[in-house]
Amino acid sequence: MRDYWLSKLCFDLQTPALADEYRANRDAVLARYPLKPEVRAAIMGDDVAALSKLTNPYLLRFYFLMAGMAEDDYLRRIRASKATADERR
Amino acid sequence: MAELAGIFASSHGPMIVRSWDKLAPAERQSLDTGFQELGRRITAAKLDALIVISPDHWVNFFLDNLPSICVGVGESHDGPPEPWFKAFPHRKLAGHPALAEHVVRTALARDFEPSVSYQLALDHGFCIPLWKAKVDPLPAIVPVIFNDIEPPFPSFKRCYAWGAMLAEAVKSFPGNLRVGVLGTGGLSHSIGEADMGRIDEAFDRDCIRHFERSDAATLCDFLAERQPGAGNGASEVRNWVAAHGAAGGRGFDLIGYAPIPGVYVGCGFASWKLG
Repeated sequence: MRDYWLSKLCFDLQTPALADEYRANRDAVLARYPLKPEVRAAIMGDDVAALSKLTNPYLLRFYFLMAGMAEDDYLRRIRASKATADERR
Repeated sequence: MAELAGIFASSHGPMIVRSWDKLAPAERQSLDTGFQELGRRITAAKLDALIVISPDHWVNFFLDNLPSICVGVGESHDGPPEPWFKAFPHRKLAGHPALAEHVVRTALARDFEPSVSYQLALDHGFCIPLWKAKVDPLPAIVPVIFNDIEPPFPSFKRCYAWGAMLAEAVKSFPGNLRVGVLGTGGLSHSIGEADMGRIDEAFDRDCIRHFERSDAATLCDFLAERQPGAGNGASEVRNWVAAHGAAGGRGFDLIGYAPIPGVYVGCGFASWKLG
């Protein structure tokens, strides 16, 4: 199962103006999403491993691109996390 | 009646556009060769309409409503919204509402229940093959979105049956129309996952071998077993399976295959010999 509001945030960042706002003022954007405290904390901590368990991988990768994380950094972090083939079924 | 005049498959990784200038010369050459031959075969088919089977990469659909299969019946479709794909020259792509509606009605008559959309944006999955293969002018496009992106997915067996139904729909469509089918995506790749960047060349080559030699049941059993281990992007091979179903499970003709690390994808191109 996915975390709906985390996924919605990732999806909404396809709007360039929102992505700009997010990079400038993450708190203000997050305040508009009813995120669970632990999800919000994972977002604020750029916790790739924790967030990878909560949303679609395509959305997650896109989220971190929009959040300003370099691809190499994302790859290093996601590869350190765990994913199994069973999760893809 | 309309004629099924060509069946094709092509990879579509976005890095083919985004990272083109950073690719090794051999990678660019391999992709150019594949797309060029794909384009030659599509052009030779002299298509009036092209049914393109591709996933939606979170452009039209979200968790609010995520159809397993959706047919675009609009008079036109929006071009790709991705900001890095401005080079694609078509901001609008003509649709074929009559053929699309006939596909929907044929599907329902054959116990499929597709979703229907009058307004779709066609993302890179649809447009990279059309662009890189230099399909110009574009035939009318009937988009068929398969959910290859967010599990649970339609079964391979069902995707094959969808392709067979598409062929029936084309051949029963009244009118003098040459229609093609193009499945896009795959082969192995992993996006956003812990093994992102890994290409499962052994899976890809086994996959190609099954398209060339196996019956539909064997192909689908192989994919059900092996695809989940070949990366989330390999799920898009469902669209190749539908193309294979449209061809009646025969005539697979590989144009080319190469693992291209610079785009993260095992890139393949194929068409089917008809008749």
